[in-house]
Amino acid sequence: MMIDNYFPSLRWQDIADIALNSYILFRLFVLFRGTNVLRIITGMAIIWLIQRIAAAIGLIITIWVLQALTAAAALIIIIVFRNEIRRVLQTKNIKALLWDIPHPTISTTVEIVAETTFELAQKRIGALLVFPGREDLSNAIHSGIAWDGLISREMLLSIFRKDAPVHDGACVIRRKRVTKVGCILPLSLQKDLPSHYGTRHRASLGLTERTDALVICVSEERGSVLVANNGSISRIRNETELVSHLEEYGGFKKKSVFYKKERWQLTLAAIVSVLLITGIWFSFTRGLDTLKTIEAPIEYMNRNPELEILNTSVVAVKLQLSGSDTLIKALQPDNVGVRLDLGKALEGANSVTLTDQNIKLPPGIVLKGMEPSVVEVTLDTIVTKELAIQVDWVGQLPPQSVLQKVITEPRKIRVKGGKQVLKNIITLYTEKISLNHIGKSGQQTAKLAMNPALLAPVSPSENKVTVTYTVGNRE
Amino acid sequence: MLKKQSFIFAFALLSFTLCLSLAIAKDNDTASAASSSVPSVLVHASMCERVELLAPLNQAVAFSVKRDQVFCLTTFNPVPQQTYVYHTWFQRDKLIKIKRLPLNPPRWTTFSSIQLRQADIGPWYVEINDREGHLLKILRFSVTE
Repeated sequence: MMIDNYFPSLRWQDIADIALNSYILFRLFVLFRGTNVLRIITGMAIIWLIQRIAAAIGLIITIWVLQALTAAAALIIIIVFRNEIRRVLQTKNIKALLWDIPHPTISTTVEIVAETTFELAQKRIGALLVFPGREDLSNAIHSGIAWDGLISREMLLSIFRKDAPVHDGACVIRRKRVTKVGCILPLSLQKDLPSHYGTRHRASLGLTERTDALVICVSEERGSVLVANNGSISRIRNETELVSHLEEYGGFKKKSVFYKKERWQLTLAAIVSVLLITGIWFSFTRGLDTLKTIEAPIEYMNRNPELEILNTSVVAVKLQLSGSDTLIKALQPDNVGVRLDLGKALEGANSVTLTDQNIKLPPGIVLKGMEPSVVEVTLDTIVTKELAIQVDWVGQLPPQSVLQKVITEPRKIRVKGGKQVLKNIITLYTEKISLNHIGKSGQQTAKLAMNPALLAPVSPSENKVTVTYTVGNRE
Repeated sequence: MLKKQSFIFAFALLSFTLCLSLAIAKDNDTASAASSSVPSVLVHASMCERVELLAPLNQAVAFSVKRDQVFCLTTFNPVPQQTYVYHTWFQRDKLIKIKRLPLNPPRWTTFSSIQLRQADIGPWYVEINDREGHLLKILRFSVTE
């Protein structure tokens, strides 16, 4: 029943509104995940939620404090996290901001090994890296020094540095750790190996002929990378190929697992974004239903340019509006408009019935009623007419003086206005001119009072006249 | 012979008399027609505070409401025959009063007036029309405090 009350009034704009804002929230998560910004925003959201709860149960001081906090939140976020925000905005292009999902760099053991291996090859530093399989290597590998260090690029480089005491031997890698260094591997017994294969190549093949281990061999002379496994050796061209080999060999966490986890994380974030925005949207638009009456002025549209509005029965319409408390409080008179189409109106009196189509309302506000529902509009044909000009004197001359003569220049003026209006008008008056300060004959300029305001001089410059007056003495 | 001459003389006299009377009658008709088509001529029109001995006193275009009365005085010369004129008083294009005033030959001065009240403050004009309704003149004035 409640759902029925909510959803029938959902418009496509509302769906778009929720979708757009959900996406914005999701993008914020994608762009700022892993930074403190997201944590702070989450904190602010919790504060806002507490504030709403406090408002609902009437905790006055709590509301006041939390309101102050949330009001300053945007400023605090911008100031404290300006570097993070700048980094996101500067390093991303529009596509990256709106669409791309950046994957965090995942430096797994495999990648560190592959990257360091090719760096060693580039520097022509020979190396042997042993990845044991299921078989025990203790019988195959001789000597060696226990190491037990977490794998890193720097550590591998230092192990195989030419002046390092253990650089000639192989290092054994188990899971994420280097367990032994300086190990001596058994040489291969194969007679048909290429002549350019040196001791490292033979050693790597030798171990793989006897065990199920995988050995990476970096040639010092050629700077090439080879992988030996199951008694065969093959050259590796790039890091990706090496990573693939190592992942296939097993023993390391695959990236796909990581991406699967990330996909789940993003899906969850998207769902939370949609739910959160939908919740906020409903709390804004479907909160407590509040009624408000507002007086909206009428806008007349599509009037025939040869007609003008002579008279209307009303200038504004009273609209009874309903909506959530938040939306009603935020409602401004500018947001509401009443538009009347006069496209079909004719000269004379026209009755126009107002419908919902005539009322422009912001989203989420519902029209409950209006008064009046019918507007009478009288239209008049625009004509021109020459009118005599008369000065509108006010005040008083000194008792002994008489205003004997007045001449206006021009004496007449052509005005345009409604035919019905002009029918009964033969005179156009000036604005009031005071006699109080006139003591002798003179001249002054006066504006014409366009009364009714529907009148206008045909030539806009002709809105002033020169008044020449003669003052005489009383007989 | 003498009788015949007397008859001719009498006939000629009768004819002359008849022609003379016809001519006189025709002249009278022409004169009468001419006098009815000549319009009265407005030679003076003014708004004034008072009229004394059919002459305007303190002609003006602004009158204080304290003066109580304002006059519209018109003089016609000639006035070929008895007729009348209209003084129509307007306040801001609103008709206030129409006064029909007789004119008598050969020359005639006539006037109309209104009593001023506080509500009359504002611009006014008086239209002067002949009996056929032709507009002869408009006199404009203001009633002030």
